[in-house]
Amino acid sequence: MQGSATTTVGKARLQIRRNIGGLACYLGIWAFLAIFLIYPLIRLFYDAFTTYEDTFTFMNFYDFFTDSFYLKSLVNSLLLGVGTVITTSLIGIPFAFLLLRYDFPGRNLFSYLSIVPMIMPPLVGVMGFVFIMGRAGTVNVILMDYFGFTKPVNFMYGIHGVLIVETLHLFPLMTLSIVDAMGKISPSLDEAAESVGSRGLRKFWDITFPLTTPGYVSGALLVFIWTFADFATPLVVGIDDLLASQAYLNIVQFVDRRLFKMGIVISAIMILLAILFLIVAKRYVAMKDYSSLSYSMIERKSLSRSGKVGVVVFLSSVLILAFIPYLGIVLDSFGKGWALTPIPVKYTLQYFQRVSIETPKFILNSLLYSGITVMICIVIGVPIAWVMARTKLPGRDLLDSLTTLILALPGTGIGIAYLRAFREPLPFFETALIGMWVVVPLVLGVRRLPYTVRGTFASLQIVHRSFEEAAESVGAGKPATFRDVTLPLIWKGVLVGSLYSFILALQEASATLLLVVPGHEMMPVGIFNFYMGGSVNEAAALGLILIVLGATCLFAINKITGARAGGVFG
Amino acid sequence: MRKVRILTVLISALIFCCWGSVQAQPIENELYLITPVSKDVHDPVLKAFDEYARKKWNIQVKTSAIPKGTPVAYGQILEWKGNPQADIFWGGEGTLFDDLAAQGLLEKIQLPQKTWDEIPASIGKPVPLPLKDPKGFWVGTMLEPYGIIYQPKLLKRLGVEIKDWDDLLNPKLKGQIAQCTPDRSSSSHATIEVILQTHGWDKGWAWLTRLAANTGIFTARSRDVPSVVAKGEFAVGFGVPSYMAFAEVLGGYDVMYVYPTNAYLTPEPMAVLKGAPHPRAAHAFIEFLVSEEGQKLVSQLGVYPITAKYKVQGPPGSNQEKAVAFTGGMRSFFDIPVGNVYDVKLAGEKKRIEEVNAYFRKEITEKHKDIVKEK
Repeated sequence: MQGSATTTVGKARLQIRRNIGGLACYLGIWAFLAIFLIYPLIRLFYDAFTTYEDTFTFMNFYDFFTDSFYLKSLVNSLLLGVGTVITTSLIGIPFAFLLLRYDFPGRNLFSYLSIVPMIMPPLVGVMGFVFIMGRAGTVNVILMDYFGFTKPVNFMYGIHGVLIVETLHLFPLMTLSIVDAMGKISPSLDEAAESVGSRGLRKFWDITFPLTTPGYVSGALLVFIWTFADFATPLVVGIDDLLASQAYLNIVQFVDRRLFKMGIVISAIMILLAILFLIVAKRYVAMKDYSSLSYSMIERKSLSRSGKVGVVVFLSSVLILAFIPYLGIVLDSFGKGWALTPIPVKYTLQYFQRVSIETPKFILNSLLYSGITVMICIVIGVPIAWVMARTKLPGRDLLDSLTTLILALPGTGIGIAYLRAFREPLPFFETALIGMWVVVPLVLGVRRLPYTVRGTFASLQIVHRSFEEAAESVGAGKPATFRDVTLPLIWKGVLVGSLYSFILALQEASATLLLVVPGHEMMPVGIFNFYMGGSVNEAAALGLILIVLGATCLFAINKITGARAGGVFG
Repeated sequence: MRKVRILTVLISALIFCCWGSVQAQPIENELYLITPVSKDVHDPVLKAFDEYARKKWNIQVKTSAIPKGTPVAYGQILEWKGNPQADIFWGGEGTLFDDLAAQGLLEKIQLPQKTWDEIPASIGKPVPLPLKDPKGFWVGTMLEPYGIIYQPKLLKRLGVEIKDWDDLLNPKLKGQIAQCTPDRSSSSHATIEVILQTHGWDKGWAWLTRLAANTGIFTARSRDVPSVVAKGEFAVGFGVPSYMAFAEVLGGYDVMYVYPTNAYLTPEPMAVLKGAPHPRAAHAFIEFLVSEEGQKLVSQLGVYPITAKYKVQGPPGSNQEKAVAFTGGMRSFFDIPVGNVYDVKLAGEKKRIEEVNAYFRKEITEKHKDIVKEK
């Protein structure tokens, strides 16, 4: 009797201790988010609303909204974002629809290739396009040398060039989101519609499209934000009347303190806008939340002969366009002194030698920092996903909102926020956090957290609660249950989410460009520095290495998930 | 457990990386520059310094450069507030160095008296351009003109010849000129000042507006100008430092250089930052650069020696001879009459710099589309 009572008490005590341990972890996660996400943002807004003398003011915003150039930049940015959403929709939706609903030769290959354009690192895409489509690019050289054109056709220099680059870079985001959403539509709904005579376009508008809306909205939001936050592409084609470009240009020139302040204000405005769009999108998606939907096998229709040809031609031509920059990058990374000829006349390996053997730091740092980033993502992200999926702890809704918010935050804004927040020397250290290389994996960890959280969350939802309950009923504690039951079932989701975090950490340049510590540059920063330093070939070589790394990761994801990997982006 | 292990690894990695060498050596084994001088020049020079240090002291020096445009570098140094993450500031305008010295952010140069004296105090007429700081806070390292570059094949196709500034206003060059805005590039800024001081404020801006009418792109940084010209994207580059374009020649591209009347000339000043983490390496680096070995090295890169003692000269086919051909036969700035209208006292004032940049931004870049349409 007595013995059993002691055990019960002991168990209860153990339970309490576990709960305390769990709670401490939970608080740890919150502390991490508070320090590395919330505080920098607050600091940025504080700076935007104060003068250098720390007095509260609206003048900074007044200056912004009365300056016609900034207003024009704001309008241009919004228009460019909307324009890119439209063009990526026009390409991405049919792409997703065809891949999902129809059978045609090479479907799996197309499915894999359609994601590849997304792994184009910033700056590299536009460089590649200029090599092929620029004023002295392959196409124009051929037109002038063989077709008697006296002037080059202007494909790239101007806002239309930015639109082309963004569209062909980002349409996979749209495709992925749509594939994910459409994949959840039960075929029975289709059948029901058909049984009452709804077919073709009518059925698409009445059934398929509304059900796909949540996925579409999140895809559209991502496309919008990426375009909105990109400053590298416009700069290459000589456009600077965009918000992101102005934020970057103003902040990197420290001399004119007024412009510097303006850089802070612009990034604050960009972040506010991102939050606003997020709220609007959330509201819209929540209205149409079809929680009853579940994944189901979709029967693919086969096409007529001409239909097959048409589909393959359409998909191939989009992909050929999307792969133009890859061609440009390959040619320029091997070609020496390439100017005014369709393809380089001399070839060399010297650029690869310079960026990989002579200065291996770019590649090594990239792998190291992205590795640490993934660790941060797992250590922080998996528990967050678990809390969201399995507990009713207070604050979990806020956690959800915060992780979604991170997706929407423009990298330039985060980078500037960190610059302002962590510039004072740390206690016990002589340097400030922004003077240490760890700031890069930290900011990357925060920026790429959502992918791990979402990957894990999606897997957790598929694992039925009853498995865990069964384990707990035979006495396994929560950690043991997690380790022995849940983890083996969800590791794929965690891995895929982490791989996405890894790829995107490898490629990130907007926040890290502002934060990188000299001597600790990673590949995207190297690309930027080489490009800005006039060593375009080296930039291309480094870009190609980065593309190959990204494609390898993507291939691995593809193998693990069997070609279906949309959820992490929603 | 795993978390703990990961944390341990992280912390030890952190300590390892923050822990610099503190042994008493003739120079430290690290050296960092912050510089607008492009990679084409700072890379080979840093590499040569590493070799030099290995030979002289048997010390391997880990070097790196933070590439920043002059105004940005200057602002960054102010931002560091005497706790710099770099040892040396290299390049840009002497007045910015004077500013930094006045704010106590520079250390005095430590060069042997003889070496110091060999560098002339100034060059050029009617306005003499200082080549070193009389107070000793900075020293010129090489002479470098900011002029015009062009892609010969494209220019021939357009049927245009370029000998001096005014040739850039030829309507045949519409959309063919690449330049950088003055707030992003000190070479553009200086060249614009040359135009303003040649023609006077109003006529100068009228000239620059006509130039804008021919301009096809305002690049993100000055180093992009020679890149896009070398590539053939644009035919002509405005306000380009000679070495930047010469780097393209060394890279296998076809570019030619014009040294126009009164073109801006810079001694590329160099200074050691106050509180530099590696001061001894920094001083050793400066001494190396102005030595015969250092000057010989830079003369292969499309710039000119800082003293009359050395000339750009080498065996046939050498980089030196290529550089001489590229600039139309020049071997030393001390052989030719050097015109200079650029007045540091006028142009170097902070207020004037901001005024020029703001005017350019308001009247040229923001109205560029309209200017192109009108002309």
